[in-house]
Amino acid sequence: MYISNYRRKAEAVFLFFLAFLIFCIARLLYIQFFNSTYLSGIARKQHNLFVELEPVRGVIYDCNLKPQTLNLPAPSLYASPNTIKDSDKERIIAALPGILNVDQDYLRGRLARKKYFVWLARKITPQEEAAVKKLNIKGLGFLRETKRSYPNTYLASQIIGFAGLDNTGLEGIELYLDKYLKGAPGWAIFLRDARQKKLDIWEKMVLPRDGNDIVLTIDQVIQYIAERELDKAFKTYHAKGASIVVMDPHTGKILALANRPTYDLNEHSNVSKDQTRDRAICDLFEPGSVFKIVTASAALEEKRVGEEDKFFCENGSYRVANHTLHDHKPHGWLTFREVIEESSNIGTTKVAQLLGPNTVYKYVRLFGFGSKLGIDLPGEISGMIKEPRFWSKTSIGAVPIGQEVGVTALQLVSAISVIANGGQLMRPFVIEEIRDKQGKVIKRTSPVLIRKVISLETASRMTKILTGAVEEGTGRMAQVPGFTAAGKTGTAQKLEPNGAYSHNKFVASFIGFAPAEDPLVAIVVSVDEPHPYYFGGVVAAPVFKNVAADVVRYLKTKQSLAEDLNANRRAR
Amino acid sequence: MKLNKFLSMIVCVTLFSLLYVYQQTEILRLAYSEQRQYAVFQKLLDRNSILRYNIEKNCSLVNIGGSVSNSSDFQMPDKYQLARLVPSKEGVTFTQGAANKETLLARIFGIKRQAEARTINP
Repeated sequence: MYISNYRRKAEAVFLFFLAFLIFCIARLLYIQFFNSTYLSGIARKQHNLFVELEPVRGVIYDCNLKPQTLNLPAPSLYASPNTIKDSDKERIIAALPGILNVDQDYLRGRLARKKYFVWLARKITPQEEAAVKKLNIKGLGFLRETKRSYPNTYLASQIIGFAGLDNTGLEGIELYLDKYLKGAPGWAIFLRDARQKKLDIWEKMVLPRDGNDIVLTIDQVIQYIAERELDKAFKTYHAKGASIVVMDPHTGKILALANRPTYDLNEHSNVSKDQTRDRAICDLFEPGSVFKIVTASAALEEKRVGEEDKFFCENGSYRVANHTLHDHKPHGWLTFREVIEESSNIGTTKVAQLLGPNTVYKYVRLFGFGSKLGIDLPGEISGMIKEPRFWSKTSIGAVPIGQEVGVTALQLVSAISVIANGGQLMRPFVIEEIRDKQGKVIKRTSPVLIRKVISLETASRMTKILTGAVEEGTGRMAQVPGFTAAGKTGTAQKLEPNGAYSHNKFVASFIGFAPAEDPLVAIVVSVDEPHPYYFGGVVAAPVFKNVAADVVRYLKTKQSLAEDLNANRRAR
Repeated sequence: MKLNKFLSMIVCVTLFSLLYVYQQTEILRLAYSEQRQYAVFQKLLDRNSILRYNIEKNCSLVNIGGSVSNSSDFQMPDKYQLARLVPSKEGVTFTQGAANKETLLARIFGIKRQAEARTINP
């Protein structure tokens, strides 16, 4: 009886353990087969941390490989509201406004969110980071980001543009070539320790592809010279706006391009559209007398006039249809050369009447007006040129002297480059090369000949006439000591909203190249609404003179230093 | 015999397990130490970027021009105004000739802004 009782008890214990074992096995099987995905997901979340790896944004260099943009480290502050105690939240709300430029309501709103991650301040300074760290509040953390910075502040601001908070291009080349500059982000799955801190052990990793570097044709030194002189004129004459373009006439490389008003690239958050607009390629204006180079070139190319052919300039008053043309001072008989040198509207109109509207229009288009030149910058406009069938009876007295047409500063510099380059129109460009981080060239821009506009002989004859315009004509203030320059002044009346020409709003301009015998640079200067002086020969010509003098000296020195360097290399 | 075999197997498995655990802890230790070193490296890299930016900003023409052109005319030097350094066997030497190549016209019409001190050889 006793044995039987003992045995029964042992069997009961055995059965209990067996049942427990079966239960455990069943539970394990259930976990393994039905719950494994869910549970391994939780485990993965606990052990692994998915991190997006930010690529380094490409750098923009000038033609001498001087960086125009740099990526600076900038810590960003985040909070984990779900893990922060209420007392700590109050401390954050009280302390952070004194350190960072944020208000208490903003912080209260952010910290009230039921989230594990909210940004509190992006891209703060290292000093601000140190001050926040001193607070030693659990639930605040920093992520390392990079901030786009511009060491040359306002230099070439409208060309370079800027990138926003997420390192995405918003203006200029930063926007235009964003796909090359930004690269591609990578990702990695890192392990986390028991305290949920990231360990530098990764399970999977895809490396980020850094952005490509851009090399511009812009020369930082020439850009500075151009901006310095443009700024002087802009301030002296209280102008509404101003533009300057310096171009290599033989290749179409833009060496400098500046506009006023401008802005500091490091403080782009409060700029207006007026400051960011690249006026040299986006703004249309009536060019005035600088446009006479087209009429003069057409007349010489078509062999309709010679330099010494005489034109009667009607003593300053000449009627075309129902409109009376005037010269800025009365002239009698002038040779064709003098017509251009003295910028006679009546003489130029008479030359145009010899040519006829169709020939004038043909050369206007050949010089690149009325169509985009294809510069590699965003926002280029084509200008405005009417076909001869839409011309009025007065148009023959307006178009040849730069009225009833709309052009850009870029088109003007390309047109003067045609004469400096023996009659060939080159496509202007700003982007010289795109390189990867190893320095391998991905894309290179070569000079492109758009078309032959005039013959070499006509170009050389025009050079002589334009040299005369600077030596003895309206452009005397553009004379450069040490070498000769060729150019043409322009003073255009602006249109009032009622369609009439204004008597107190002008665009003063100058186009030219230097040295005249072997041109290194072609320059256009245009100043919008200068006061009190408004003549191109007074306002814009001195800018040309100062820029040409410094730039030619600089280019010649650079050339001779490069030659010396090559000679030394060969000697070694 | 069987017990001996069993015990030696147990020892082997234990040793391998310990080795595995040691290896894992060593990986974590190295990860922590590498993380500390990487933080230092990153800090140095960041300081390098900031210094580079400061150098670029300070030697920028905008900065130099801004401080110089207020007091005097800041213009590009002519070729004859440049001092040239030529590499030679003795190292880099200064070529006197290049600096003094002032043209006759520049000498006649040039206005010297300040007196030039000349050294007298004993």
